[in-house]
Amino acid sequence: MSEPLLACEDIVKVFPGVRALDQVGLRLQAGTVHALLGENGAGKSTLIKVLTGVHAPDGGRLRWQGDEVHLRSPLEAGRLGIGVVHQERNVIPGFSVAENITLQQPPARRGLISPAAMIGPARDCLQELGLDLDPRLPVRELSVAQQQLVEIAKALHTDSRVLLLDEPTASLSPGEAERLFEVIRRLTARGTCVVFVSHKLEEVFALCDTVTVLRDGRSVLESAPLSEHTHDDIVSLMVGRAHAATAFTPRTVDASGPAALSLTGIATAAGHEDVSFDVATGEIVGLYGLVGAGRSELVKAVLGLDRVHSGEVRVHGEPASISSPRQALHRYGIGYLTENRKEEGVFLDQPITRNIAVTVWRKLAGALGQVSSKREQAVAQDLVDRLGIRLARLGQNAGELSGGNQQKVSLAKWLATDTRLLIVDEPTVGVDVRTKHAFHELLWELARDGMPIVLISSDLGEMVTLADRVVVMAGHRVRGQVANDHDYERMSQRIIRLIHDRPAPEAAVEKGRMTP
Amino acid sequence: MIAIRSRSAGAVPALRRFSRSTAMTLLCVVVIGYLALGVASSGSFFEGPSVRTFLQYLATPILIGLAQMVVLCVGQLNLAVGALGGFTACLMGVLMADAGVPAALAVPAGVLSATLIGLLTGVFIVATQINGFIVTLGTMTILLGAQYRLTGTRTVDGYSSTLRDLGRAAPLNLPLVFLVALVTAVLLAAFLYRATAGRRLLAAGGNPLAARLSGISTDRQTVLAHTLSGLLIGLAALTATASLPGVNRSVGGDWLLPSFAAPIIGGVALTGGSVAVLGTVLAAFVMRLIDAARAEFSLDPSWVNFLIGLVMLGTVVGGRLHQGHLERAGKNRRTPTAPTGGGTAPAADSLLAGTGGAQ
Amino acid sequence: MRTAAVAPDAGTEEPQTPPRTSDRLPFWVNQRLGLLVLTIGLALLFGALRPAFFDARLVLFPLLRDISTLTVVALAQMVVLSVGHMNLAVGRMAAFGALFAGFGYDRLGLPLPLGLLLCLAAGAAIGALTGWIIARTGVGSFVVTLAMDFALLGLVSLAYSALTENAAFTSTPAGLDELRAYSLADICVGPVCGSPAIPQIAQFTVLALIALGFLYSCTRIGRELLLTGANPAAAELSGIPTKRRVVTAHALSGLLAALAGFMAAAGTGTFRASIGDDFMLPSFLGAVLGGTLLTGGVVSVVGALLGTSLVAVIRKGLDLLGVGLESLNIYLGCVLLLALSADRVRNVLSYRKVVRST
Repeated sequence: MSEPLLACEDIVKVFPGVRALDQVGLRLQAGTVHALLGENGAGKSTLIKVLTGVHAPDGGRLRWQGDEVHLRSPLEAGRLGIGVVHQERNVIPGFSVAENITLQQPPARRGLISPAAMIGPARDCLQELGLDLDPRLPVRELSVAQQQLVEIAKALHTDSRVLLLDEPTASLSPGEAERLFEVIRRLTARGTCVVFVSHKLEEVFALCDTVTVLRDGRSVLESAPLSEHTHDDIVSLMVGRAHAATAFTPRTVDASGPAALSLTGIATAAGHEDVSFDVATGEIVGLYGLVGAGRSELVKAVLGLDRVHSGEVRVHGEPASISSPRQALHRYGIGYLTENRKEEGVFLDQPITRNIAVTVWRKLAGALGQVSSKREQAVAQDLVDRLGIRLARLGQNAGELSGGNQQKVSLAKWLATDTRLLIVDEPTVGVDVRTKHAFHELLWELARDGMPIVLISSDLGEMVTLADRVVVMAGHRVRGQVANDHDYERMSQRIIRLIHDRPAPEAAVEKGRMTP
Repeated sequence: MIAIRSRSAGAVPALRRFSRSTAMTLLCVVVIGYLALGVASSGSFFEGPSVRTFLQYLATPILIGLAQMVVLCVGQLNLAVGALGGFTACLMGVLMADAGVPAALAVPAGVLSATLIGLLTGVFIVATQINGFIVTLGTMTILLGAQYRLTGTRTVDGYSSTLRDLGRAAPLNLPLVFLVALVTAVLLAAFLYRATAGRRLLAAGGNPLAARLSGISTDRQTVLAHTLSGLLIGLAALTATASLPGVNRSVGGDWLLPSFAAPIIGGVALTGGSVAVLGTVLAAFVMRLIDAARAEFSLDPSWVNFLIGLVMLGTVVGGRLHQGHLERAGKNRRTPTAPTGGGTAPAADSLLAGTGGAQ
Repeated sequence: MRTAAVAPDAGTEEPQTPPRTSDRLPFWVNQRLGLLVLTIGLALLFGALRPAFFDARLVLFPLLRDISTLTVVALAQMVVLSVGHMNLAVGRMAAFGALFAGFGYDRLGLPLPLGLLLCLAAGAAIGALTGWIIARTGVGSFVVTLAMDFALLGLVSLAYSALTENAAFTSTPAGLDELRAYSLADICVGPVCGSPAIPQIAQFTVLALIALGFLYSCTRIGRELLLTGANPAAAELSGIPTKRRVVTAHALSGLLAALAGFMAAAGTGTFRASIGDDFMLPSFLGAVLGGTLLTGGVVSVVGALLGTSLVAVIRKGLDLLGVGLESLNIYLGCVLLLALSADRVRNVLSYRKVVRST
């Protein structure tokens, strides 16, 4: 095998409380498309940031054509010939398309940029993507998909030897994605190495030559030819077969009474149409779909954070019109464990006690509004014991806990009050395998005690393990429901078929891809 | 069709965008306000001396507004605008009057020290990572003390008559200090819109993460913004020293609020990434107009602050409500919205479809 | 202002927030204890250098009266800082409150307590209006309170010039002079009298401290204020009425500012527009030195008192040492910057420790 263009050896990257990358290896050959796969939180984005000089690794080496290099900044990586399209929106909203594309190397003479001179190169890059866009338009006037394409054009402009694309197709339509693939093939024909990160395995198999799979910060498959692996091999490597097959003691669902939550013909401002499903007492209903299918948005609309245009929401048989999460909690007993733990779930800089007791202050408060800290701590301690949260002291800040324990704190908040319906959104993203299992057990126990649970997850293994029924969503619509028989193979095929086989109306696809 | 649109896209949309911009509104306000004031004063407001006084005392507000704008555009702010300006003015005055330094030396020394203090502030913020608000609050306190120590309770007025003559000079009835402010504004605009360094400044303010990923050091931009702010304050102190009868410890005391009011009314967002040199200059005009109108009708000076406060509140709240309205409308009609929006753009789709067909 | 922009990291695997480990550190690094020791130490030092520093009537009494007023000012700022906002109009809200008190005494002939109530109500109302504008429109508190500062600056002066002849209400109700001049020495239980150094006006400060201490450490609303400041999105999703809390915080801030305005007016005996002119700097100095975070979510009621005391002691001591008033500000600014740099260094060190242990 020839000398790789860029190679990682035993890369380690540590963040407080997490080993994000643990001895990861990667070899990138010129003229190939290399797939970098893994679940959310497996460390893909971190690895890309190490490769592009954003983060300095805490251990291991980077080799550029055999020579060890230390990348101290994205600029150095760029000079070396490493270009990147990050997952986050990285455009400057107030700048024109042309200026964003040429941001790294603006055409300048004696410190003065020339707006005219950047039009040409920018238009070339846009043309290569088949995008006829006025380069003088400010980027903030573009749609999300167009902004994404501008970012790709920006990477093309730097003329890189190694081009890293982190989820480049997340907000593109199939037509746009296909055009991007043509560009990628042209680039590899010129000897560039493209690293392609995607959740969509179909794209990966259509495009890539070699593959690296990350799981929990380690490379479980390193720079192997993709043709030697099947779709299922890769999925099981990503998910980790061992826990996908876990089975719990069976539960029974009490479907006699009124449904705990019943949605009928819901249409929302976010673009959902005709969404209907029921959740019975003690039932775990999975909401499965690809990123952007509109699952979290649906839940947020039901909780009053977005407008529900039409349709009926019934909670425990009673018609409900919910205007805020506060009302959802106090009037209907709905708890929502958010997807964004750090931004919306826990208060990182606040003690664990407060994080847990926040929902019960109202109940604990006395005549003057005073809350006895003893009773508050009792509530917190009880839940810490029940959920097995590992901590030093209750007064510790939640930010000092590991991801999994933070998530448990976030769940404890809802169990502290008399939550009668729990909605959990991607509960185990960025959580290590053992905690993940414990978390699954917890949810299972809750359901067995009669708690109705809506589980939103992109992790099919998790769905198959936990859900009684899986509601499949795509393009802000319900595509169908599948009763879970806890057999991973059969379930995954049925669900994937539901998502893909039915020809989706164009409009629905458009909507689906817009939501990040 | 698309090709035609993109070729002719140069001037027309730019013009259309300008016509809807804050600057355009402000320009109308300035013109109408000025005319109204002229009519109300039965023409005396259009006469030479009135115009000259009007412009004479416009120079400093423009410069301090710009000084604040430069830091706002990287998402920082500078509470020390007034204190640094007052300190610099007093420093120049004391150098000339007490130490006998010629104006040709004292003025550059003053401007340079203001720039240096700005630089130090920026370095301190970057090095300690302390919130710029608090750091500039600290430098403000220090500089207030320094200014007081320089002048005490006296008014320093025994300085270079050349400087004062230059300050009062008005070729073609346009005061020299006003021209200085205008030229500075033009140079600043050129720097921010055309120079690589200026674009980097804006990029860092517009999206710090993206700027860092594109190899732009946001720390360096913070330092640069504070340095520039210091330089502009130095110039403001120069115009103040040249046009005032003397400098004392109260110079700069009332600069802080107008320095925020001008950029904010001019359409600069406090979150960084946007600049509006023209808007800021025009907002300074508007505020000066209010002041002139107050003098014209001999009203209580407090009216000026009251009105500026209301205008500022109105601008920000109005802008925010308008934006919220647009977003909501956009969501319903599925027009391009912020990344959080659920809809997609019909216009954008047809554009993409069009390109697909063209291929 | 926004030095640390939050990166919208889609991969949730990067906890980049440096955990604050202040409560894990040994007690002697405690910021408040440090402040207390520093304040007492400085007071002793000044006393040793200039024995006049301990003169109860001439030095300590006015010093404590200043501390009383400025602590309330710092508390007014602290309350809005707790929800992650700021109030640049503290001084003007104080003037606004004092205007109503003065008007009540001069024109309506109200007795002392009623005028005070009117003053507090006016302050709370203007604060609530500010908070409502912020919560309703989503415009940053900085801009709104800045604009409010402008508007009130004009409005209060206009009101004074319209209502009075020489821009001040001078007629005072019975009891105001006593409030200004009396100390604990004037309260005697039998033969035992209080210290002549402690002004009676401090009762308001003590009340405010106790009330806020109770609010933040014991009540639901206090906790909800803190969580709203710590993470507004999570607070909203946890069922906290965040908008209402923002209004609460600003109303409370207006009320405290008005109280400070009343105290300042009582201290000088006249109600005029210039009350509160120099409140902004001490409000931030006291709160921030005391350990309240600008980002919200962390407050220290006692810290506000200690921070204000430290500043006041330095001011008075340097004054007695003959350091001209003009230079005082230089030292105060340096103290502020040094204190915060030290805090920062500590944070960085503890962050490194956490990273290394992972």
